Amino acid sequence: MSITRRDFLAAAAAVAAGSWSDAAHSAVGKMSKAALTYFAGMTEDNGYVYRRTNWKKIDNQWRRQLVEYKSREPQGTVVVDTEHHFLYLIFENQTALRYGVGVGRDGFRWFGRARIDRKALWPRWVPPPEMRQRQPELPEFMDAGPDNPLGPRALYLYRGGQDLGYRLHGTLEPWSIGSNVSSGCIRMFSEDIVDLYQRCPLGTRVLILKHLGAPVINEAAPVDTQ
Amino acid sequence: MNKATGLVSLVALALLLASCASTGTGGITRSSQAPSEATNAPVEGGVNVQSGSEEEFIVNVGRRTFFAEGSATLDDTARVTLDKQALWLNDHPQWKVKLQGFADDPGSAAQQTALSQKRADAVRDYLAAKGIPKERMRAKGYGRDRLVGDCADIECKAQNRRVITNPQEVADF
Repeated sequence: MSITRRDFLAAAAAVAAGSWSDAAHSAVGKMSKAALTYFAGMTEDNGYVYRRTNWKKIDNQWRRQLVEYKSREPQGTVVVDTEHHFLYLIFENQTALRYGVGVGRDGFRWFGRARIDRKALWPRWVPPPEMRQRQPELPEFMDAGPDNPLGPRALYLYRGGQDLGYRLHGTLEPWSIGSNVSSGCIRMFSEDIVDLYQRCPLGTRVLILKHLGAPVINEAAPVDTQ
Repeated sequence: MNKATGLVSLVALALLLASCASTGTGGITRSSQAPSEATNAPVEGGVNVQSGSEEEFIVNVGRRTFFAEGSATLDDTARVTLDKQALWLNDHPQWKVKLQGFADDPGSAAQQTALSQKRADAVRDYLAAKGIPKERMRAKGYGRDRLVGDCADIECKAQNRRVITNPQEVADF
């Protein structure tokens, strides 16, 4: 079955279920031909499907890989280099697993320490009211599924027990990995957020830096997602 | 660099090296043992991961299984990781695995050793049920040893409550 047909059926089913409105700007029915080339079939996962990334379209630097990493952060820490669009999971022997990410656009980047206090498989998306004010076309909420912009997993970032409103999550826009695009969330390829979910227990430390070597500052973006 | 920061760097470096020497849980060792300035330099094949290599296991499968406090029960997430490990080990029968269990939980040292052994055994039994012969595996509990981080907080403890699946072509067991 072709991707397009399958996606069309999924989109039609979603419309029939009334689970989304005209906000489904990302639905494949409205995707350009160019956008469709970034996908290569579907993967079933926990009762849903996500679009597989077509790695031929992705620059090697954004793909998950083992790299050297000189760090004083303990193993298991997630470090994000915002400027260079890399997320590192610190391993032993001065190595790290590096993933490509998309980060906040201008005015929506933030920095500091956080902790993964909640994890979700196939999260629903509830855009915060302020985001809906900026983008009135957004729905009040979107059920989990192939057109949910959070993708197949979300890791929720907290500081001192408070939900920061930011998450590590998947994306429907693999071409946006490596750029400044979000409202402050860290977005990853669907395959990568599924992978990272496996590797980060609750309580995982997260450090968002301007760039590697930059001082640790706790600085919220003037973002209103909280 | 002034003297003070130089000293701090040296101490930090010594700590880093000491912790490397004492981990003993395997993982890729960089070809150069000297402290590298080269963060982001690819390790092994970088993005060109060889099928059946230890690097592939690390990058595409994952060595760690995590546990809740006081528990040796495999949760859904742990089973997903172990399903991937079993697939890989069935595809690459030249590899044996040392299953290293750890604890950082309430209880005496003896209780933690017992818990870490139960965790390693739970992983072994799950992999065995997925078709990995028991003679390819060894499960050993190390108790509250080889801590990734030592603090009272979940940030440390969550990382320590783990089993590491350590692939070995020539088993040291």
